[in-house]
Amino acid sequence: MDGKDVADHAVEYGDSLGADYVEARYIRSKDDNYITRNGKFLGIQKKESRGIGIRVLVDGCMGFGSTNSVHRKAVEDTIDSVVGMAKLSRRDTPIRLSDEKTVRTKWSVPVKRPFADVPEDEKRNYIKELDKSIKRAGKRTIKNRILFMNMNTADKYTTTSHGSCVRANTSLISIMTIMNARYKDRKEQKMVTLGSSSGWEWLKEENIMSELTGQGESLYKTVSYAKDHTFNRPMDVVVAGEVSGIMAHENVGHPSEGDRILGREAAQAGESFYSDILDEDPQIGNEEVTIIDDPTLKGSPGYYRYDEECVKARPRYLIKNGRLNELLLNRECAYRFDKKSNASARSTSYSREPIPRMSNTFFETGDHTKEELIEDVKNGILLNSFTEWNIDDRRFHSKYVGLEAYLIKNGEVTDTMVRRPVLELTTYGILRNVDAVSKEYESRMAPCGKSDPMQPIPVSVGGPHVRLRKVVVG
Amino acid sequence: MTDEELMKMAVDTALGQGAKEVIAQLIEEEEHQIRFSYSQTDIAKRWKRNYLDIFLTSGHPLSLGKKINTLTIHDPTPKKIKTQIPREVRVLRSLPKSKLYWGMDSASHSTYPSLKGLYDERIDEMPEKAPSIVDDTISASHEGGAKKVSGVLYFGKTNKGLLTSHGNGGVYRTSYCRATVRSFHDDNSSGQSLVVTRNLKDIDKKMMDAGSRAGRLAKRSAGGKEEKGGRYDLIMSPTVAGNIFGTLLSSANPIMMLGGMSCLKGKMDEQIGPDSLSVRDDPLVNDGMNSRPFDDEGTPSKRTPLIDEGVFSNLLHNTSTAKLWKLLNWIKLKFWIRPTTTSNSVLGQLGMTGSDDDPRTLLVGPSNYVFEPGTFTLNEMISSSKRPTIYMTSNWYTRFTNMREGKFSTVPRDAAFLIQDGEVKRPVRNLRLKGDLLKMCGDITGIGKDVRQIQWWEVSTPTFVPHIKVKDCTFTKAKS
Repeated sequence: MDGKDVADHAVEYGDSLGADYVEARYIRSKDDNYITRNGKFLGIQKKESRGIGIRVLVDGCMGFGSTNSVHRKAVEDTIDSVVGMAKLSRRDTPIRLSDEKTVRTKWSVPVKRPFADVPEDEKRNYIKELDKSIKRAGKRTIKNRILFMNMNTADKYTTTSHGSCVRANTSLISIMTIMNARYKDRKEQKMVTLGSSSGWEWLKEENIMSELTGQGESLYKTVSYAKDHTFNRPMDVVVAGEVSGIMAHENVGHPSEGDRILGREAAQAGESFYSDILDEDPQIGNEEVTIIDDPTLKGSPGYYRYDEECVKARPRYLIKNGRLNELLLNRECAYRFDKKSNASARSTSYSREPIPRMSNTFFETGDHTKEELIEDVKNGILLNSFTEWNIDDRRFHSKYVGLEAYLIKNGEVTDTMVRRPVLELTTYGILRNVDAVSKEYESRMAPCGKSDPMQPIPVSVGGPHVRLRKVVVG
Repeated sequence: MTDEELMKMAVDTALGQGAKEVIAQLIEEEEHQIRFSYSQTDIAKRWKRNYLDIFLTSGHPLSLGKKINTLTIHDPTPKKIKTQIPREVRVLRSLPKSKLYWGMDSASHSTYPSLKGLYDERIDEMPEKAPSIVDDTISASHEGGAKKVSGVLYFGKTNKGLLTSHGNGGVYRTSYCRATVRSFHDDNSSGQSLVVTRNLKDIDKKMMDAGSRAGRLAKRSAGGKEEKGGRYDLIMSPTVAGNIFGTLLSSANPIMMLGGMSCLKGKMDEQIGPDSLSVRDDPLVNDGMNSRPFDDEGTPSKRTPLIDEGVFSNLLHNTSTAKLWKLLNWIKLKFWIRPTTTSNSVLGQLGMTGSDDDPRTLLVGPSNYVFEPGTFTLNEMISSSKRPTIYMTSNWYTRFTNMREGKFSTVPRDAAFLIQDGEVKRPVRNLRLKGDLLKMCGDITGIGKDVRQIQWWEVSTPTFVPHIKVKDCTFTKAKS
């Protein structure tokens, strides 16, 4: 009996126990990862895992269980247990799921060159060459370089007692770098991750070697030339895609998650300030602000065609022309908001429950070039990248510390680099001060953390250049 | 086939295929979770896994770095062992040497420390009892002043077996229970309390006490106002101290140093805190969530002072990093410094490298951090606060400008209070603590008597820590 058959059996068995809803997910996953420090291998690891996760709804209460023993007896034992626990749970408001169209389909991440077809030497040589290239770019300042390259493929089969089943083949490649630079008594650190839902071809097509080498050059310049400045006054700030991406993610994506608004993450990732404003004027930003979460972008780290509840994915316009437009909903949250799911249910593993997550969240590109954004700034700052950041757990009071940053004077980016400028802004302070967005888009990947146990899920956090008028820079 | 026989078969098979050193770790675990919010249960979960981790090495004993490979056999059987291990030994031969692996503990250990309290038979009653414990906890929190209650209750049991090719290891079992209760008096006024224990006696009462504490804190934080940024003294609850000083302690790790992520690099034997500050890594502490008789190389567990009367005194090591550090000391002509393993070897993952929790290499990891108790009660800390002081009960989202320097900020969460003239004046909110780990350690002015074990979303290493007072901290707030 293979994993698909066991998942089908799980649904039948859960049904036979009287569960109102049963969903079974079988995942077989392979990882191939390479880790170097200063060009020397710390490890090359090839792993394979598989297991099955089952979610049930019984009398309005939810249960979830998983096992790595993929056979009938283990699955029946799991379902007996979670159905029993769900029956013992108490809720005044029963959990219900939104009605969604039944689908039976399959989808795959488009791959031109599967990881399995790439000779081992080519993979090892790539990461060693990348290290050399970053080292050269650092001009002897980047003395400590850690590189992680990971290739993951997964076969997933999800089936539900509502009649849906989706088979998916995914492929994700990512490279994370940790660079430590030192020049005289100054030290700077940069962590950056790039990734794509694709095959080995991504490295060449997107010129990742050049992109990451550029990050090394950026860190070299920052550690060598950036000087402390004191501002503490309102200034115009242009943020590049890396910074606008993290703002879209933290200040808009997270508060848009339906489960946060309903309080379900309160003891972990927190709630959402949206719960205060959902019934008020939805204009929370300037007209120039449109923020999209789009899982359908081919090649993106957060790409998928159907979510973990078998709902077809589509772009979600979280904010449209400054107006709060749409939340991130799975079926449970959609029912509570009297809406349809917009396919936001994701999980990181067979052993994790699907919950509302972001995919690829970004400011919609505008009509300007990035040069035009800068032309119109008399005194300001350009933030190309960031280092420290955080935000309160209702997602309103945020802080972003710039890494590569330049003074802008009379419409031109100067050679004067600013060391660690601080934007400590509320979400309104960001969204209500945006007056222009560029055409260009810059991609970044991050593992977004949420839930308990933690589910670090791949998302993209890039975007266009965005101009903020008159915000206080610390 | 017994667990011991299964592990022996794995080790013998790997050695027979040409592996030089082998670790076989057999885990059978069952964990449960109940999550709740808005004072009702959201989901009840159970995870069950049984697997055999195999760590394989090859290479000359004197070589600088050796080849390593790991394999996880899920739902292990003799047949899987016989087919999968030979394949992975063949893969091992084709891999480059790892600069992180220099060998494992080859001494023969016939005895291990005997630890009491690792397993509580009452764990088997928990799946049935837990839902009503959660309900009672919620009720207790409402009685304390909460209007809505959220949280998570975990409990579980593990059978762990270990056998190395040097004959070290054994079999033991553990159980645990831990919970976070976060209660709200209104959307912006919350309090949090934790339960972290292996001892299930009166677990229902412990949970209800936690619920009640969280409810009372939430009620006391109601009506909080935004406070001005600036310089304040700071009283950290154990939850906050566990996060901030736990992050400092995690720097006492050679792998963090190799990665440029440790602010303790170059600080060995320096005074980094007051004489009253002593912290150890302690795998033997009673009730510790990571207490264990041996580490993942089969080295008997022992205590390691990390900060001794304010002096940074040791790094944690496994056998490999101890050898590496010994060599580095020789290169620096410091022949007299010969570190040995501190029994902190952990099969784990380096970075976020994969889609599962399976180990990928042999690392160095802490067991439980244990702070020596100080002399202050919380009331004494408060009443002795003549300068404006912030009392933080919880925090989250600690992020670094640069981990090598230890500069960071973190966001107070839940109840926080302004103390003036030795009295709690009012609840405050929307501040951010900006800090420097080493400076804050040096600025500790008071250590509490009330050591308690902390482990939750923001504190992954179990940490026995009291309230801690730090002078002259910087708080900021959003400016637009």
